[in-house]
Amino acid sequence: MSQTQSPKTSSQATEQEQPSRTPAEWVTFGIASCILAGIVGLVLYVWFGTNYQDDPQISIRESGEVREAEGNYYLPFEVSNTGGSTAESVQIMAELEVNGEVTESAEQQIDFLSGGETEEGAFVFSEDPQQGELTLRVASYKLP
Amino acid sequence: MRSAKRQQIWRTEIRDIVRGACGGFLFGIPLLYTMEVWWIGSFIEPPRMLIAIAATFVVVFMLNRTSGFRNTRDTNLQDAAMDSVEAIALGLACAALILTLLREIAPSTPLDEALGKIIYEGVPFTLGVALARQLLRADDNGNGQETTESRGRQSGSSQTSSPAINDTLSDIGGTLIGSLFIAFNIAPTDEVAMLSSAVSPPWLIAIIVTSLLISYGIVFEANFSDQKKRKQQRGIFQRPLSETVMSYLVSLAAAAVMLWFFDQLSFDDPWSMWLSYTLILGLPATIGGAAGRLAV
Repeated sequence: MSQTQSPKTSSQATEQEQPSRTPAEWVTFGIASCILAGIVGLVLYVWFGTNYQDDPQISIRESGEVREAEGNYYLPFEVSNTGGSTAESVQIMAELEVNGEVTESAEQQIDFLSGGETEEGAFVFSEDPQQGELTLRVASYKLP
Repeated sequence: MRSAKRQQIWRTEIRDIVRGACGGFLFGIPLLYTMEVWWIGSFIEPPRMLIAIAATFVVVFMLNRTSGFRNTRDTNLQDAAMDSVEAIALGLACAALILTLLREIAPSTPLDEALGKIIYEGVPFTLGVALARQLLRADDNGNGQETTESRGRQSGSSQTSSPAINDTLSDIGGTLIGSLFIAFNIAPTDEVAMLSSAVSPPWLIAIIVTSLLISYGIVFEANFSDQKKRKQQRGIFQRPLSETVMSYLVSLAAAAVMLWFFDQLSFDDPWSMWLSYTLILGLPATIGGAAGRLAV
């Protein structure tokens, strides 16, 4: 259907007879169909082949060594959603207990955590968290 | 003879594809710099994704009946349907490319999130592909006969004292207007800072390369409205490569000024921050600038 751009081709000829598709157009159409079919196929796979409707299951853990810089202690964490659906506004907290009382707490909010996704960050304490008892927990989330 | 014809056929086809892609970039880039669309993509459910594709197909099919991205006037139902498939595939491919470039999709991204983002960002791209000829005012005859008014520039510019300076100034002006038109909407938003925090130096290089390629494609490869005349112009920077680089630098400067204007950047910020912010906003600014040079 596309006409050649060369000046020799008059544009009137193409207006009278519907030009057939060129081989090049068939090739690109073939590639385009594959891309579209691939995307639709992947969507169907997510729909029927995964647990995308299951509730979120969010877990948090320390993901590395505490490092100290300028009097602050950085505790890296990893929060992951092993459930199916996405959780929004995931609230995570860390509490540091020294000698039986909570001396410091830190919190963080993750905007969106898809099923299967892992996010990383750090809690910052002014005392060494290794000297006390540390509790990491996921406080809340909401469904989008 | 046959091989020459085949070459011609392929050249036409590639031109059509590039034209469609450039239309997609022009229309789709502003929404790509919108975090709400990423979020929608990350929690949308598969049935809704399929509905989005189907709805896009219907709209693009209707657009292809009247315009489309190919240089042909008459489209029957079958052609319009086939072109719609191509437009959607092209839109999805371009959206996926830029999302990857901006680190919104990485190997660690879960499959359903990546799909949602690509499909929802692909919708504006696909519309842009279908509107490519309207957006970029390609001439329908494909024989390069345009009126001199189409550029708002007198054909007698060769008789003025310094045509080269005039053409160069006009190109710089067109680039600035186009950059402002597209990037001014993006400059004050938080997306620039968000994206900039996620990119590393190798990705910044990739962004530079992509910006230059898209800019080059829009102005020189896609056979839009006044291509023939552009190639005859006598500006200082009229060689395709030098014009592309020059206009990229102008767009980057415009991007930096816009970021400073909206107080996204201040003079006590580190230079590396200026660099990454400017390059991130430079991508839409360049695309706008390239379209601006064609329109002015």
